[in-house]
Amino acid sequence: MSARTTTVAPRAGAPATRYALFGCIGVGAPAGVLAALALTTTAAVPGIVEPGAAVVVGLPLARALLDLSALTTVGMSLLPKFVGFDQPERTAKATAVARRVAVWSSVLWLVAALASLEFQTANFSPGQPVTLSAIGDYVREIGSGQALLIVAGCALLYLVIGVLAVRRGETVPAELRITVSMFALLPLPATGHAADAASAWHDLTMISMELHVVGAVLWTGGLLAVIMVLGTNRALLADALPGYSKLATVCVFLTAVTGALNGWFELYLTPGVHWYVALFATGYGRILIGKIICVAAAGLLGAHVRFRLLPAIRQRKATAVAGWAAAEVAVMGVAFGLAAVLVQAPVVS
Amino acid sequence: MRRLLIGCALAGAAVFGLATPAFAHNVLVGSNPADGARLATGPTSVELDFNAPVQNGPNVITVIGPGGGHWEQTQNATVDGDTVATSVAPLGPAGVYTVGYRIISADGHPVQGEVTFTLTKAGNGKAVAGGTAAGPAASGGGSGSGGLPVWVWIVGVLVLLGIGVVVVLRMGRRTEDTAG
Repeated sequence: MSARTTTVAPRAGAPATRYALFGCIGVGAPAGVLAALALTTTAAVPGIVEPGAAVVVGLPLARALLDLSALTTVGMSLLPKFVGFDQPERTAKATAVARRVAVWSSVLWLVAALASLEFQTANFSPGQPVTLSAIGDYVREIGSGQALLIVAGCALLYLVIGVLAVRRGETVPAELRITVSMFALLPLPATGHAADAASAWHDLTMISMELHVVGAVLWTGGLLAVIMVLGTNRALLADALPGYSKLATVCVFLTAVTGALNGWFELYLTPGVHWYVALFATGYGRILIGKIICVAAAGLLGAHVRFRLLPAIRQRKATAVAGWAAAEVAVMGVAFGLAAVLVQAPVVS
Repeated sequence: MRRLLIGCALAGAAVFGLATPAFAHNVLVGSNPADGARLATGPTSVELDFNAPVQNGPNVITVIGPGGGHWEQTQNATVDGDTVATSVAPLGPAGVYTVGYRIISADGHPVQGEVTFTLTKAGNGKAVAGGTAAGPAASGGGSGSGGLPVWVWIVGVLVLLGIGVVVVLRMGRRTEDTAG
């Protein structure tokens, strides 16, 4: 986080409060991770070598960092779409900031993917040193290892394209950056726990999981980009926020519905316990409740911006939108932190 | 817009190409001996049944006796579909034996837990010495060449990328300033 703020701040000529958004989401996510870990502590099994505390905490933290840098990169890539391409002289400064931030977030994305790979390997065979050959074995055996390598490759590709975009401006098409960054979202959900092999619903739950991730990233990343880059520019905010708001409305419902569906399905598929019992009795279920609360709260905050503040923003009036957006982003950070633990949590009490 | 649609189509194809057939988080659905069973003679093997296939990898089963000794012949359990098994040495004193496991789920996540059974009549076996060391030592030997811990590599990547990006962006700034 610090690399991003210190490097970009002087050139953007922006008030430091702008970067407070990163602070909000950067505090929210670890809080979510720690809360979720507290909900899923498992008793030690006699005789079994377990991964150390650094791995137990580092694994979801690396995943949360991966998600946050991914959504920042996607959001910054989308920003030119929100402000439009019609008046380059008005928007040039804002899109230049977005391109720079995207470069740094893609560096973080790449590093977070590699760190996740290391932590997953350590978690895979506890008690053994994590060497390059151990990581190679892990990637050969396990789908999520392959997915992380693809993500790291995409982040590197984005970094190259992003640096080119900083140098050449919008002649490097925004669609290319959007495509690469959004493609990199897809491999990880495809290898997570989405459904039983024997289940006829397998394809549906996997598509639903992909939509969930894409929806959450567009919602949060778009908000982060629009408010961070345009928050102090009332004219551009008036142009960009209505467009984002439409996208976000769709994404809020998409994220909520697909998340509820997948969570319910995971509980429903667990043998030996009714899903409504598992919802309250298992760590998985409790994290799920936490995420539902987060999405509801963030949705309400978003609705406030959408219905109460947007009319004034359209008229280029001063509003407290940055504060409301910061709260929404912080809540979504918690949700992403919870998610980082949820994706690896078993449904056991 | 068309470029975007083509990208999405490609992405969708890639995802389905990558997807493996099984994703579930495994749950223990049964075992032999069963959880809480009372046995007069010790089992020669322990089998754990899951609701989904178990992946090959560091699958570990331990059997801990009343005195804290290990009774499993080897910690590296054999996988057969949904079932993981390991052979057990002849049991010793009567009492509660705990079968602990840590297996690789169909989705690649490790899952751990335990079941217990009670031996009602003492056998004449002895605890297997060094049971805990069997698992980690088996496959750890070949990795001596990759001496540096991996986080050093990751930090190296971060530092190199950071320096590279700063340099390239500074070079880029001049062209950008003259152009705009």
